[in-house]
Amino acid sequence: MLNDSTFPKNNSNTNSFKLAQEVIRIRLSQMLINELIKKKEFKIPIHLAFGHEAIAVAISNIMDKDDQLVLSHRNIHYNLARLKLLKPELDEYYLKKSGLAKGILGSMNLANEDKGIIYTSSILGNNLSVAAGLALGKKVKNETGLVTVVTGDGAMEEGSFYETLVFLKSNSLSSFIIVENNDWSLATSINERRSHIDIEKLCESIGVDYERLEGNDVYAYQKKMIELKKYAIENKQPICIEVNLTTLGFWRMKTNEFPLGKFVNYHAGNAPDINLLDSYNFFIIDNSEKDPVYVLKKYFDDNLINETSKRILNELKCELKEEIK
Amino acid sequence: MKYITYVNQLIKELVAEPEEIVIFGQNVSAGSCISGLTRGLTVKKDGLILNTSNSENSLCGIGFGLMLSKVPSIFFMKQQDFLLLGIDHLVNTYNFIRTKKPESSFTIFTPIIDNGYQGLQSSLNNFSDFCSIARIPGYAITNKVDAEKILKEHLISPGFRIIGISQRLCSEEILCPSLVNTDEKGNIFKYYSGNDATIVCFNFSFPQGLELYNKLKQENINASLFSVSSIINGDWSKIISDTSITKNMIILDDSKSINLSCNSLIKDVLEVTTLKSNILLSRDLSGDWLSPNEDKLVIDHNQIIEKIKKNNLI
Repeated sequence: MLNDSTFPKNNSNTNSFKLAQEVIRIRLSQMLINELIKKKEFKIPIHLAFGHEAIAVAISNIMDKDDQLVLSHRNIHYNLARLKLLKPELDEYYLKKSGLAKGILGSMNLANEDKGIIYTSSILGNNLSVAAGLALGKKVKNETGLVTVVTGDGAMEEGSFYETLVFLKSNSLSSFIIVENNDWSLATSINERRSHIDIEKLCESIGVDYERLEGNDVYAYQKKMIELKKYAIENKQPICIEVNLTTLGFWRMKTNEFPLGKFVNYHAGNAPDINLLDSYNFFIIDNSEKDPVYVLKKYFDDNLINETSKRILNELKCELKEEIK
Repeated sequence: MKYITYVNQLIKELVAEPEEIVIFGQNVSAGSCISGLTRGLTVKKDGLILNTSNSENSLCGIGFGLMLSKVPSIFFMKQQDFLLLGIDHLVNTYNFIRTKKPESSFTIFTPIIDNGYQGLQSSLNNFSDFCSIARIPGYAITNKVDAEKILKEHLISPGFRIIGISQRLCSEEILCPSLVNTDEKGNIFKYYSGNDATIVCFNFSFPQGLELYNKLKQENINASLFSVSSIINGDWSKIISDTSITKNMIILDDSKSINLSCNSLIKDVLEVTTLKSNILLSRDLSGDWLSPNEDKLVIDHNQIIEKIKKNNLI
């Protein structure tokens, strides 16, 4: 956690404020895409990541030129964080030639080699071993840099999670394995689908270092990630980082058992309960620590965040003037 | 020289050349070294030979990761049915990889368990099944000639492919037929030319095809002999043109799958040629084919000889 007394609260001209702006930009970009999904603008499935913004911004911000990122089907937050533009990503979703990957990859496999996103897979657990190969490649070529692979609480149930941890540890490969634990896999929560897996103990049994992040504080995340990165590189070690977060958005599934509708957390497509409204604090989805944008209020006052959000939304609308007219 | 020794010797020469290559897999430099396949391999100082854990799925992904790192690698796998665990990568990861122009090489090298005494695991003996699922270039090695062409052309070259050898042939003396021609990539090999019949061998049936060729020759039936090493991007035109002369096509396929690679050839030949005889020699699986057994493609040479003689009025 940052020492609040040293943090330049409400100073919008500092480098620190850029992190907050990035979190807001990714939030608003997704809100705009969500509105387009509601209008059935896309033929491809899109997995939004409301609530995942803090970890994506922190990781993107600590990446150096030689670092590599490997993503999964829910990758929008990282792609937006790395690219810092919305239109090429949106064009990719429209499968246009002007898209980030020339309309070849769509959403679930979207990578961006120029920005260090080397590989993205739509298959749960598939990306882990590819990341291990990238890390081994760095070792063979004696290259610097860290490989970060992003997975989730669903994908870590696959055997490849265990296999990859063993390989990374056995070969002393500097790497981050980020487990975005949102408790849900498709329409089932962890309790509904399996026994508890203690990732910390699993890692301990293999000799892999483990760290848990929670609270959605982009500043705290970045500070911790810088420390961990230094450790992973200096000690040639993989580190598994479990990030507890909530994918914001939900819907209700009516069944005989649940006539009023059973709560199902957001997975893909539009988030029906999230709306881009012209109101105060329109950029906040949940007034709690579940929401990385809400957490920014710890550092900046409402007016600054509100004005910044309005400005960023206008900038995004200008960027997308064709798509949202 | 034994089949496995010859293949091992070629691999040894080829992996010693690149400045940077990763050789990996279970026991690649330990114990029997995959029944001699990887015995004595050495790489230059920037390369790496890695005895890995038993994790075939991840090892496939690691090879693709190395490929994205522009580091060439070969994953030597103990047997093809272990590759079932890596099918996700063969399809999904490879599909991503081939959206880009390959700058590096990744080869999966595996023996196909076609020795029936191995029991249940020998039921999956069709090399082409794995190639077919995602149109993966795959090359079956059956003799000295195709081994040399395939390994020199494909073992370490930009792109991804699978190379298969026959476990049944490992302890046999390697065959050395005369080559008439092959294509640039070594997809189809033509070994002999004749005007009376066209023999085409699929999967690992080349030894039986060569035996049949010799039996026919003893009866003054001159046959052409082809072996199809790779079904992906195979160009049947040379075989079709040969059958248009001989009018007698004899196909050998020792695989046990329902989908036989030779079906595509048969269809294409029949579209343009009226054959006097179209003989498909494939596995009879009407009996107990799952229990340990000799597991051999059995050919009645006399019956074939009679048929060709009758057709050609020899």
